[in-house]
Amino acid sequence: MLLGIDVGGTFTDAVIIEEGRLLAQAKAPTLHHDLLDGVLAAMDQVLAGIDASRLARVALSTTIVTNALVEGKTERVGLLLLPGPGMDISALVPEKPYILSGYIDHRGRETAKPVGDEVARACLELNGTAVFAVAGKFAVRNPSHEKSVADWVRQQARPDFLTTGAAVSGELNFLRRANSAYFNSAVWRHFGRFAAAVRQAMIKRGINAPLYVLKADGGTMPLAAAESMPVEAVFTGPAASVLGVMSLAAPTGETVSLDIGGTTTDIALWRDGVPLVAGRGAKIAGYPTAVRSFWLQSVGVGGDSLVRREAGKLVVGPMRLGPAMAVGGPSPTVADAMIVAGLASFGDAVLAAQAMRQIADGDETPAQVAKNVLAVAADKIFAAIVQMIAERVAEPVYRVEDVVHGRPPNPGSVIGVGGAAAGLAPLVAERLGVSCIVPPEAAVANAIGAAVARPTLEVTLRVDTDQGYYTIAEMGLRESLPQKRFGLNDARELAGRHLAQRAAQAGISVTAVETVFAEEFNMVRGFTTTGKIITCRLQIKPGVFSATGSEGGV
Amino acid sequence: MHAKPFGLVFFPAFDWAISPTHPEREERLLYTRDQIVEEGLLDIPGIREYKPRLATVKDVERVHIGVPDIDSLITDAHLVSAGGAIAAAEAVVRREVDSAFALVRPPGHHAMRVVHGTRGFCTINIEAVMVAYLRRHHGIGKVAIVDTDVHHGDGTQDIFYHDPDTLFISFHQDGRTLYPGSGFTDEAGSPQALGTTINLPLPPGTTDEGLHYVLDNLILPVLDDFKPDIIINSAGQDNHYSDPLANMAITAQGYARLAEKLQADIAVLEGGYSIEAALPYVNTGIILAMAGLDYSKVIEPDIDRAPRGESEAAKAYVRQLVDKQYDLWRSRDRLSKEAIAKSGDFWQRRRGIYYDDSGINEHQTEKLRLCPDCRGYLTIASESEGNYLANKSAYIVVVPLHSCQKCRQDGRDAVLAAKKQGKYGYYFIQDQEKDLLENI
Repeated sequence: MLLGIDVGGTFTDAVIIEEGRLLAQAKAPTLHHDLLDGVLAAMDQVLAGIDASRLARVALSTTIVTNALVEGKTERVGLLLLPGPGMDISALVPEKPYILSGYIDHRGRETAKPVGDEVARACLELNGTAVFAVAGKFAVRNPSHEKSVADWVRQQARPDFLTTGAAVSGELNFLRRANSAYFNSAVWRHFGRFAAAVRQAMIKRGINAPLYVLKADGGTMPLAAAESMPVEAVFTGPAASVLGVMSLAAPTGETVSLDIGGTTTDIALWRDGVPLVAGRGAKIAGYPTAVRSFWLQSVGVGGDSLVRREAGKLVVGPMRLGPAMAVGGPSPTVADAMIVAGLASFGDAVLAAQAMRQIADGDETPAQVAKNVLAVAADKIFAAIVQMIAERVAEPVYRVEDVVHGRPPNPGSVIGVGGAAAGLAPLVAERLGVSCIVPPEAAVANAIGAAVARPTLEVTLRVDTDQGYYTIAEMGLRESLPQKRFGLNDARELAGRHLAQRAAQAGISVTAVETVFAEEFNMVRGFTTTGKIITCRLQIKPGVFSATGSEGGV
Repeated sequence: MHAKPFGLVFFPAFDWAISPTHPEREERLLYTRDQIVEEGLLDIPGIREYKPRLATVKDVERVHIGVPDIDSLITDAHLVSAGGAIAAAEAVVRREVDSAFALVRPPGHHAMRVVHGTRGFCTINIEAVMVAYLRRHHGIGKVAIVDTDVHHGDGTQDIFYHDPDTLFISFHQDGRTLYPGSGFTDEAGSPQALGTTINLPLPPGTTDEGLHYVLDNLILPVLDDFKPDIIINSAGQDNHYSDPLANMAITAQGYARLAEKLQADIAVLEGGYSIEAALPYVNTGIILAMAGLDYSKVIEPDIDRAPRGESEAAKAYVRQLVDKQYDLWRSRDRLSKEAIAKSGDFWQRRRGIYYDDSGINEHQTEKLRLCPDCRGYLTIASESEGNYLANKSAYIVVVPLHSCQKCRQDGRDAVLAAKKQGKYGYYFIQDQEKDLLENI
């Protein structure tokens, strides 16, 4: 039995899944000054009459990190950077950084040593700062400088918490790792308090099940792991809904999924049954970070979107003035049109018809107006999908093969979840000329996604056979290669072993492993091949424990 | 921090090489990719990455005549590389960005108008294909190309040698000491375009100081004078002090400052084979400079290896060279008239062209009609001999843009007459006005 909770902007949803069946669901208002309140209210409701000791896992998708940033509940971070030669990134990070000497080049070779005195001086100036972040350029190729500086800081400043850049991501992009490390330290204390409160509340309710937190990439991590990597728990809402789609509809080929909520529609493209991942990390408070996430596009159309006429033309969203007129809202909405069109059944149908009359052109009947409103709304979503496909096609590629034989996305179906999916998703599918699925549990897809999301974990292995070493940035490893002759297959195997080891440390069981990135280059010096440079990133695949449906495990 | 709107077409062709251990191999831009991505350059507001397009054979044939055809001489990589240059140029002419850099391979500046194979790692001239595209589709007229590769841009020079609307300036390590062995001051354009080809052979060991002397005292004033619609930089990076194939002493700072002063609309990568010690830093410097950002911290870790200072003799030579070439530039109209008068109705040259990568020797006779009403027409008799290939020969007529009725007719007559004689294997007429390459 799995408990999933998704903290949304307006409501906190909770569900219980048992053997692929939605056993119970509940909803409570989200209180932004006290997220835990909403979480516990929804949880207590959904657990009413259920033996909590039967829970195998509790998973939480929360906006706690986002809230901490919005509400300024972050703390000052001592940011220490080793940028070496290159761009001056001082103006691109959220805090004035201390720039340190020392450089690791693109091959992971030390070309200048870090200087302890500089770190001592920085610590002195940062007196009173309790959390730190240290990031070095190319630390993913050699973490030794970040480690030395971190050790010096620990000795000098005795910080409560410190994040290093290579630990947050094994991918290239110093700027993003620096920002990720900064935000990780900035929200660490706030997240830790929340985690402690959640733990305590669970104990009080006699729940011993392990606690997991959803990540932006659609995987989960044990709460204890999240406490040292809270930045990963940012923007999990849309990821939860994508996982919900995976569980409810188990798409196989190319699909577009829509999460149509109150004010926005989140669009995801899927290929081979897998949601596409964003090429670069998420932006936090406007700063690019290394936090991986699904590739989502948001368009301002939802059930509560305001509908009006501008210069005679029907216009939908992006603003919301209140709920539907059918439930006492101030002005016509998409939901009113859905009620009149018979695609939704809540509120007062007479008020909904009145809403349509307010925006009728001449002697149009409410039914005609409703049809036009829904067409305009569906058209906006359709246009956003077309735009997304165009963006995908325009994404740079670095191989001739990919330019010549690249294939544009061509979704064969639409899957709709979220409160307003039943009304709009079929119309969008019609515009695309494809079939449409709206699962009956569409309204709580997000909480279902959180409940059934599997843990994920990754390692990035980089091998330099010419220098005879390999690194795994996320684990802070830099080791000698076992043998000089080493190929991509050897690299996959070695990475797999380390992934298993890392998973064991984190208390995660290894299920399906996939290669998310792999490249292999021959190094030639003076017309002889001197070695290979291999990079390969493996991850425990994001996925769901089970398909979910009202009819039981599908 | 916000960049000037700047476009980057990055195409490292990670799956293409001339041969496994050739300098032009998969690994060439690997470390440059590492540096660009690691710096986070693509995350700076104002910097936008573009995907290359696939150029068409028609785009290529607007410039080149392949013998027996261009299709059989190129790979898809060449079309992507040329398409990368076109994508960069279109981003600029559509005003999506102020300037753009096509950081692409394979390179092109040694590829001449007639193509029998690959020379100096180049098969098609990607800048020339781009310029022809801009003229055809975007009405661009006057173009300046500044070639900052260490090797003479002999292919680009060849293609624009008779075109007074294209200013070609190349500085390079003196041809007496380096491939391709050309690019001397007397190569200045055919009579009607005399002066719009400017060669600046520099002594081996030239440093940033010498380079910037040439830039400040010759290249920039000439560009000011010429007033091109668009400035293109053939941005080879092998003048770097660490380059294994040449002997110059330019640094990443020297290259970045050059990019800043030149203010090229479009830069296109050419050579540069110090793939670890130079390219990551030089490219970062050029990108920052073109995007109007601070590049002062882009310094090679091994900068102590860079030679410093030049001999007094070298300095004096460079000063003389600049004076001489500036004089030529200022008297180009008079010199052009004199040369036309001296040549009569036709100007002619014979050349041997060596394709080092393909092992082919080509013998070419070019004859240009000097027409008082238009740019005339060009005939090229080309014969090649190679080790493994059957010998090939072709007779080609090129009718340039804005040609007069008589020259169009005379050009066509010339190719038909040659065909009748039947001395050559292939006959072509490239009609630039009609945008057509015909196999007669």
